Amino acid sequence: MPIRVNLDVMLAKRKMKSKDLAEIIDITTANLSILKSGKAKAIRFSTLEAICNALDCQPSDILEYVEN
Amino acid sequence: MKDKINILTIITYGVILSSISILLNDMREFDFNQFTAFQNWAKAANKTDPWFTSKNAIKWSFYVISAALFFWRGYLIYGFSYFLSILKEIEIGNYFSDKNSKSFKKIGDIFTSYAASVLILRFLLASIGKSTFNFFQEFKTELTILIPCGLAFYILAELFKRAKATEEENELTI
Repeated sequence: MPIRVNLDVMLAKRKMKSKDLAEIIDITTANLSILKSGKAKAIRFSTLEAICNALDCQPSDILEYVEN
Repeated sequence: MKDKINILTIITYGVILSSISILLNDMREFDFNQFTAFQNWAKAANKTDPWFTSKNAIKWSFYVISAALFFWRGYLIYGFSYFLSILKEIEIGNYFSDKNSKSFKKIGDIFTSYAASVLILRFLLASIGKSTFNFFQEFKTELTILIPCGLAFYILAELFKRAKATEEENELTI
């Protein structure tokens, strides 16, 4: 998929564990893992908003368009 | 929900069992001794005679086609058993499984192939002079129900396939 999820990069920058982020944004670690691995088909605005809020970043820091 | 599934399962079993009993009764009433009579004729028949003009051969063709009609009715009853498979999947919560989609397609195949085959076989029966055949009359009776039912099951199969894709997409929306 041409949309890359850079969530692991942002987590490393903020020195935050996946489990902690999952707890803060109120989603399961399994779903967060799907999001990190790029297997997710879509992301809700509410989830994106919660991630940006928790990691203090912009949507563009998490999602990146990569040409095939 | 489970009660409704149980009621539908019982109804389906009732339909299958009554269809089988009707088919078996029709087969019981069918004179299978004619096959033995044909075999005896075949042994004694003059091999140089043209086959199609033989009265016995024509009679035998009638019984073969009648037997084929029994087979197709059995096949239609087998198609009903797919309803049980669908109900079982719904009971365990797999509403839009691949199995359901395939079962609907299979039922559609059986309904349409039954309707087409019965139409052809009845036409053949009429052509050997053992029954009256009216194409439009056939369409007015059971075939008008079976062909649209078959098409409806094809549509359901396609809908369930799409529903499964949508369900997967929904599950992967975080």
